[in-house]
Amino acid sequence: MNPFDFHGPEFLLFYVGLSALVLIGVVMLRRKYESGPIPRIDLSDPLLIAFLRGGHSEAMRVAAVSLIDRGLLLCAGTRLETASLTRSESVRRPIEKALLEKFVVSGEAASMFDDSRLKSTLNQYEQTLKKVRLLPDESITLGRTVIFGTAFLILTGVGLSKLYLALARGRPNVCFLIILVIVAIVFAAKQSFPRLTETGKVVLEGVKNLYSELRARASFLKPGGETIEPMMLAAVYGVGALRGDGFAYTQTLFPRATKAPMNSSSCGSSCGSSCGSSCGGGCGGGCGGCGG
Amino acid sequence: MAVLAEVAVEEGAVVVAADHMVMPKDCFGLGWRPQLALGILSNLDRIDLVEVIADDFFTAPRSDRRALKTLAAQVPVTLHGVSLGLASSVKVDRDRLDRTARLYEEIKPLSWSEHLAFVRGGGIEIGHLAAPPRCDETIEGTLKNLALAHTIVGVAPQVENVATLIDPPLSRYDEASWVVEIIRNSQSNLLLDLHNLHANALNFGFDPIDFISRMPAGRVRGIHLAGGRWVGKGNVRRVLDDHLHDVPDPVYALLEEIGARTEPGLTVILERDGHFPSIDSLLDQLDHARQALAQGRARRTIASRGEEAA
Repeated sequence: MNPFDFHGPEFLLFYVGLSALVLIGVVMLRRKYESGPIPRIDLSDPLLIAFLRGGHSEAMRVAAVSLIDRGLLLCAGTRLETASLTRSESVRRPIEKALLEKFVVSGEAASMFDDSRLKSTLNQYEQTLKKVRLLPDESITLGRTVIFGTAFLILTGVGLSKLYLALARGRPNVCFLIILVIVAIVFAAKQSFPRLTETGKVVLEGVKNLYSELRARASFLKPGGETIEPMMLAAVYGVGALRGDGFAYTQTLFPRATKAPMNSSSCGSSCGSSCGSSCGGGCGGGCGGCGG
Repeated sequence: MAVLAEVAVEEGAVVVAADHMVMPKDCFGLGWRPQLALGILSNLDRIDLVEVIADDFFTAPRSDRRALKTLAAQVPVTLHGVSLGLASSVKVDRDRLDRTARLYEEIKPLSWSEHLAFVRGGGIEIGHLAAPPRCDETIEGTLKNLALAHTIVGVAPQVENVATLIDPPLSRYDEASWVVEIIRNSQSNLLLDLHNLHANALNFGFDPIDFISRMPAGRVRGIHLAGGRWVGKGNVRRVLDDHLHDVPDPVYALLEEIGARTEPGLTVILERDGHFPSIDSLLDQLDHARQALAQGRARRTIASRGEEAA
């Protein structure tokens, strides 16, 4: 039974099955290639975590919110402006200095995302995450390219062969096949080149879980830069996770980011939350003390 | 110049010098609680390890276990069990031991520990770490359970003394004798909870220093610190070990005593389960513990020099 002798719908069905197998193979090979020990990184650095979660844009948003929260950057609608008495030397992170310098003249907040100078101040985070293979480094990118190349050859090879045979046999109705080949290749590319490595995905999921208690307390976090907690909450879950009137400006400033659904993978769970005590399962009243 | 490298070993951290001389080092850490996550992860320069409640992860979803692995990659972890009920004439639940073994294998902690308590009987979960009758039957049962735990997990657990509000009925041993019998006849080392000791000493009128002096010093490998409060009225007042208060001064004094009697290489964990103060307050208590243990170590050094001189 030669699949190239299948008629139109039959071959399309065969090709869908083949594409599914190829995609599963792509995912499994990539996961195997990219999985590794979880590295030690600075989990107390909100900008590093924001960069891991969403790249340059997320790190910039978190940095901007942090400056606004501390009163160093003023926000009016969708515009930002550095507070009059603020000096860029008063902050230590390069991205914060660059943001204060950029908005000495009032400007649209969204303009920061296209600013190459601002992006360059975040290179250290990108390099750090690549070094520990949470973002794809050169070797991972090469591996991904090989995996995608193989998938591409299989998908286009089979598709084009059938296309050639169909046309040679006088069957010009090949539109569905062409669409199917393109769709399969797009899917293969998406599965081959995700932004995070497999280890990066695991670490991000782990970080969200470790900080899940912050999310549970989101409504009680106070603005004013008193603690790093709001910044960390925004770093881990996005600025949309900030709640309360004190952070209402984020919805106007970053409407897309605050409307985007937060990753809910760790919703309702937390590392060690089922008891969080050594009270022998007697969490709370009635246990007669811990004894342990 | 000797290059020092910190490595984790089965029980406690050591500093390995280039000349292969092994110098154990005391380690100080906090019990991991989600409420303390940011405080702990922001102060890893002052926290040597964290203690995680193992039972929270027995049936946890994959995301929770991944979180624990992420945590363990940042800071050394010890596992602390609360539901095995090892100190009992009832055989320990094999399924729970299997889960402990799987978690141990997955996380590869510095050590693991359980309480010298029973938590179930006659098929009823009592939801509390209860002190068993201190008698031959419970010693025998505990030793069997510890041997089984050692076999299944591959590493013997450290065992922790528990606090109790009532003197266990049917006891034929005092607490120190009972604990010593178990330690001497098993592979397990002692995780000495100094607040539990402090509470029991006040509740039942014995000398905690005498208790410490009766423990085999070389088998004390871990220390728990915590706080509690007085409950009850009149003649039935008791100290409740609730883990909701700061470590009281007498507990630091006991830690100094431990420092004077044991070799370096202890892991000291501060437990706090609620009414969380600022992380700075907890770190201050850890620093206080460091000082107390160091003072004890200094006493030991002076005493040994005196003996050498004599």
